[in-house]
Amino acid sequence: MEKQAMILVYLETADGQILKVSLEALNAAKKLAVQTGKGVAAVLIGDASAAASAGVYGADEVLTAAADGYQAETYTAILTELFARYETPCLLLGSSRDGKELAARVSARAGVGCVTDAMDLTAEGGWVRSVYGGSLQETVSIEGRGVVTVRSGTFGKPEETAGRTVPVTAADVETGALRAVIKEAVKELAESVNLEDAEVIVAGGRGMGSAENFKLVHELAELLGGVVGASRPAIEDGWIPRNHQVGQSGKIVAPKLYIACGISGAMQHVSGMTGSGYIVAINKDEDAPIFEVADVGIVGNVNDILPLMIDEIKARKA
Amino acid sequence: MELLVCVKQVPDDSVTVVLENNAPKLDGITPVVNAFDTYALEMAARFKEEHGGEVTVLTVGGEETVPSLRSCLAVGANHAARLDETAACDSLGMAHLLAKAAGKAGKFDVIFCGVESTDGAYGIVGAQLAETLGLPLVTNVLGLEPVEGGVSVKQETEEGYRIVETPCPCVVTTVKPGYEPRYPSIKSKMAARKMPIAGLTAADVGAEASAYGPDAAKVRQTALSAPPKRQSGVKIQEKEAAVAVSRAIKMLAGQKLV
Repeated sequence: MEKQAMILVYLETADGQILKVSLEALNAAKKLAVQTGKGVAAVLIGDASAAASAGVYGADEVLTAAADGYQAETYTAILTELFARYETPCLLLGSSRDGKELAARVSARAGVGCVTDAMDLTAEGGWVRSVYGGSLQETVSIEGRGVVTVRSGTFGKPEETAGRTVPVTAADVETGALRAVIKEAVKELAESVNLEDAEVIVAGGRGMGSAENFKLVHELAELLGGVVGASRPAIEDGWIPRNHQVGQSGKIVAPKLYIACGISGAMQHVSGMTGSGYIVAINKDEDAPIFEVADVGIVGNVNDILPLMIDEIKARKA
Repeated sequence: MELLVCVKQVPDDSVTVVLENNAPKLDGITPVVNAFDTYALEMAARFKEEHGGEVTVLTVGGEETVPSLRSCLAVGANHAARLDETAACDSLGMAHLLAKAAGKAGKFDVIFCGVESTDGAYGIVGAQLAETLGLPLVTNVLGLEPVEGGVSVKQETEEGYRIVETPCPCVVTTVKPGYEPRYPSIKSKMAARKMPIAGLTAADVGAEASAYGPDAAKVRQTALSAPPKRQSGVKIQEKEAAVAVSRAIKMLAGQKLV
């Protein structure tokens, strides 16, 4: 096969499906491809059943590499080798935990710059990312080749072209003996949470007060056909699993309606939800910073307000 | 086991950073040890207390980072070292400095780093340090225990956790475990004040000038800005919760949102 410089995008999959954050990385890769005139090759490691889907989403080529289950060292070796083999100007990955680890490792092995949690690509080829807990945004450029991870909820999914087929190449890569070995993987979070595509998000924070009260957040979300979000304190207190987190260490979201319940509005949370169409905030502290971004702020005890709100919306629906 | 914890001093992350003359305005914000590094130190201290060994903390920075090292000495660290270097580095440059400094500071079985800093938040220095040293790595660690020839590590994943076994020496990056870092006592604070802090320089540790600093950086900041501001709307304050709710729902209905 004739080798040519290709932008690579590593597609992480679960049960044969490409992760949404990886599709966003593919979208970023396509954006970069338009700027640089290079092609985009999608990389699938282990399970290659998503190869056709990668073509439909716009990859120009699909590279598959064999692997027996996820081992960070094996995947690092494969991506490092493909990065060299394809003279890759830029390798993109989704900013999942594994994605960021792989990005860091490949960049160190290749001796190239690494940018994580990119939220946008500027016309000049700079990557925009948030710093100081979302207080500020920096634009950074990579000198030479590089590795970039794309933050969830920022680049959107690429357009699909039904029936589009692209060449699929099996790449043979030698990987060494494992040192750190993943012995066991345990799935604790049963449901997958789709905050990125939600039209309505009802999110709860520390002000909810207890796991019991947090049920009100679920009830309102269900009533509005929305998804439940949370700020970090609610997760640390164990009221809701961490895949519901909105903000700095969670998802960036932009629903039509965002209802923040008992969330004070720390920058780390607010920076993940200010793109929402309409924001309602309920907080008992009238000086809570969440009110500075809210279209409608209700000053009051969230545990008094939410039941009334639920009743009133039910009455409207009836 | 000998344990090393790499720590970074950062501005208190509960304070919003604003822009002044195109630079972050950091004066007036209390410098603290990066939260994820405090989790790393607590994890290392607990490991030491249960299984023996000693904990060394290492930072890269000027004289102003000494109080952070002292605060680490007051909450479980036995030794501290500071690489006196203030050159602006990208993550790879910092990984190079830490790798060289770690080699000089001692022989370690496990090197701990917080998974990310709360200021730059790249979350990659620990992994790049492991690669630079050629050591095995486990990221997003919730806890670890010794096994024959190495450690067994619990790694947080998107949907749960993994058990990873690695030989030592190795590098781990830590997330928040199910416990809080300890507080110092008056006694431990007093003791920390008298403890020596090893001073290192880039030349001492054999750092290569071509591998760190602003000229070596492959990632460079070209702009810094405040995120787009959002206009706030109506704040409803009513004695009766029911009245407040009615007003809010009317507004939502007006927007066709309910």
